[in-house]
Amino acid sequence: MAQEKMLTGCAAAARGAQLAEVEVVCSYPIRPYTAIMMELAKMVANGELNAEFIHGEGEHAQVSVVLGAAAAGARAFTGSSGVGVTYAMEVYSPMSGGRYPVQMAIADRSLDPPGDFGSEHTDAMSTRGQGWILGWASSPQEILDNTLIAYRVGEDKRVMLPQMTCQDGYFLSHIADKVSVPDISQVREFLPPFKAHNPLSLTCPVSHGPQIRPDQGAPMDAQRAATFFDVPKVIEEATADFNRIFKRNYDPFLEKYKTEDADIAFLIQGAHANTCRKVVDALRKQGVKAGMARPRWIIPWPTHQIAEALGHVKALGVVETSTCYGGSMRGGNLAPEVRASLYDLDERPLVTSFMAGLGGETIWPEEFHHMAKVLTQMIKDKRASQYSYWVGFEG
Amino acid sequence: MNVDYKFQKLEPAKSFKAINRAEMYVPGHRTCAGCGPALNYRLVAKAAGPDTIFIGPTGCMYVANASYLCTPYAVSWIHAQITNGGAVASGIEAAFKTLARKKKYDGPFPNIIVMAGDGGSVDIGLQAMSAMMYRNHKVLFICYDNESYANTGIQTSPTTPYGANTTFTPPGKEIPEGKVLFPKYVPQMVIGGHPAVKYVATTSVAHPLDLTNKVRKALTYECPTFLHMLAPCPKGWKFDEKLTREMAKLAVETGMWSLFEWENGVYKYQNVPKTYKPIAEYMKNQGRFSHLKPEHIAKMQAFVDERIANVKANTAIPIPTPSSRS
Amino acid sequence: MAKKLPEYGSVNVPKDREVPFGAITPAPVKTQDLFMTSNWRVVRPVIDHEKCTRCLTCYMACPDACWVYNEKDDKMDWIAGFCKGCQICIHDCPVNAISAVPELDFEDGVVRLEKPF
Repeated sequence: MAQEKMLTGCAAAARGAQLAEVEVVCSYPIRPYTAIMMELAKMVANGELNAEFIHGEGEHAQVSVVLGAAAAGARAFTGSSGVGVTYAMEVYSPMSGGRYPVQMAIADRSLDPPGDFGSEHTDAMSTRGQGWILGWASSPQEILDNTLIAYRVGEDKRVMLPQMTCQDGYFLSHIADKVSVPDISQVREFLPPFKAHNPLSLTCPVSHGPQIRPDQGAPMDAQRAATFFDVPKVIEEATADFNRIFKRNYDPFLEKYKTEDADIAFLIQGAHANTCRKVVDALRKQGVKAGMARPRWIIPWPTHQIAEALGHVKALGVVETSTCYGGSMRGGNLAPEVRASLYDLDERPLVTSFMAGLGGETIWPEEFHHMAKVLTQMIKDKRASQYSYWVGFEG
Repeated sequence: MNVDYKFQKLEPAKSFKAINRAEMYVPGHRTCAGCGPALNYRLVAKAAGPDTIFIGPTGCMYVANASYLCTPYAVSWIHAQITNGGAVASGIEAAFKTLARKKKYDGPFPNIIVMAGDGGSVDIGLQAMSAMMYRNHKVLFICYDNESYANTGIQTSPTTPYGANTTFTPPGKEIPEGKVLFPKYVPQMVIGGHPAVKYVATTSVAHPLDLTNKVRKALTYECPTFLHMLAPCPKGWKFDEKLTREMAKLAVETGMWSLFEWENGVYKYQNVPKTYKPIAEYMKNQGRFSHLKPEHIAKMQAFVDERIANVKANTAIPIPTPSSRS
Repeated sequence: MAKKLPEYGSVNVPKDREVPFGAITPAPVKTQDLFMTSNWRVVRPVIDHEKCTRCLTCYMACPDACWVYNEKDDKMDWIAGFCKGCQICIHDCPVNAISAVPELDFEDGVVRLEKPF
């Protein structure tokens, strides 16, 4: 029987890991994800989770420890925030290329300098090309659910890839909301035990990761790329199964809110989408045909889904809570990918981007209304006059 | 919860003939002819036996052994980054412990051995090594010391001796000795600071039976253990490849290297020379020291004299502690 | 949206360029035959079985495990396929039972073979 509890995002992620019966956990403290590990430590100490709880000496070590654990055939879990995520960068590609499907729970945080505890998506976004499945939740419920879905997708034989399940620092990680916590029997129906591919074994000895010739490098890359062609199908299957067993209603890739007949729309990931939804409702009451699309997974990027859901929109604003200094739009990370997804349409929406929520600031409804005004003006002008608007800092 | 993890008990060997003949580090690897680390690896693998998992941080014993998508390890082996040998080993050990507790694994607990070079142990790999020892994982951490970053073409590392010519410490007009810094003292880094470690020993490739038995003793402990292994490198030290074992022998005879065990607080030395040969005997055969002047060799002798003094201090009669008297 | 969106494409690795999943390879059993390093040597160690005392020093001294104690015949066997000619065994044999002979002196000297391994 599912139980309803009030859980913060951190507690929800920990519950997800507990329900997934993770076997090796590696901790290291950094704000704001630390509470995930504190919850897991309590569970292990009280016998509520049969796992080894390793105190890593740093984030690079955390990811290395879980790599070893997965290579030996255990389901492994770790996490981090901010500069911790970027400190571990060396190990992300070995994890993905070695096909070790560990999960890393990220409660995001602005990167240094200077020390800033506020939420920004840049930390996990910077790891984008390394071959991990990556996506943001927008509620503690979704965090718990994504923890289970990500393990199911990542450990699938056709996939075998590590996953980063992300949540906005503080907005989700530290604020409690209603969460329906499933029963372990439901979880076991959804998530089979981890079966490693050729783990380190005494009876069937293997060598993991020998050096290779240059001509063997390209096929290695090609094989990893080929997997990402198969991942979307696995995400679809897993989400459909999840919705059925746990009575949820997730779109596998993109939450579409009133986009079907929208003239203006927002594309936004994570917790601030909750505010955006409310503003969409308010705009609709004012007679503005507004909509919102929220990607759940950005690796693999939902190229077709974005084109299909938003191709008819007249003006699209990508709301960015991450930075890509010097990038093509002089703004964030999502908008250039969105533009690439829309490029091949006969009739493309006008696209601009809005830098908002940076440094962990709230994105106020007024700011979304301001963005809507900009998008409406774009339709009148029949052009986007700017690639990105740094909301609150516009001249 | 009391779990029988099925830790292995390895018996010491009394002679070469008594050691199992099966090779766990098989012929067929691209290490240099006469490679000291390769000989080390072979002896360690043989001593440990088939129920072993090796972790190989990047270095000569990765790139030269595992070139081109195949390896010479007849037991399971995993590559680790040069930075994280200790961390990956910790994860493997934790996995086997959990799987044994959950009854998903019921075989013998593997010998988990990190074979890290000097860089991967006390330079870039120091953090991971130290943390693993602090966390009391049942892992044997081996530092095969060829006194340089050899695989990248011989660059200085924290164990490179004073006065050595490496591509980052070339001798020149301004810096006549080449390497100005004195090396870290590796065994003491472990002995001094890690209470969970109960056994530390040093070995040399010229003393293979001693090496074998130290590996087996280390593996029988249920806590982290550490072996510092001298592995002369013909390319890096610039000597004829047939002299690899002779260099190791000379290192011990001159006091440049001491063979000892530190077990539960007590030092026990092996092969202590009655009189030590002068360090010049050791250095004259190695091209990496050929640029040194008498004043540099004197500095080196002073450094070695201190090491020898430590041997004498450590073998002095220990003072009983109050608790050991009662 | 009349124009059809591009496909994601496909990636197919030809059979002769296939690489193992996750770069995980099976461990070798007795030898790693993909690395026969015999063509590195210029001298070959030749043993005088009369002088040999079966002390097994050469067996414990070879980085490439090229000396094997043949229990049945009670003599040392030499593995030709992997010996790099480093001469540690020659140098370290306590009774000088092993000598260095130029590889070119042998009919099956590796440098004479028409095809390398």
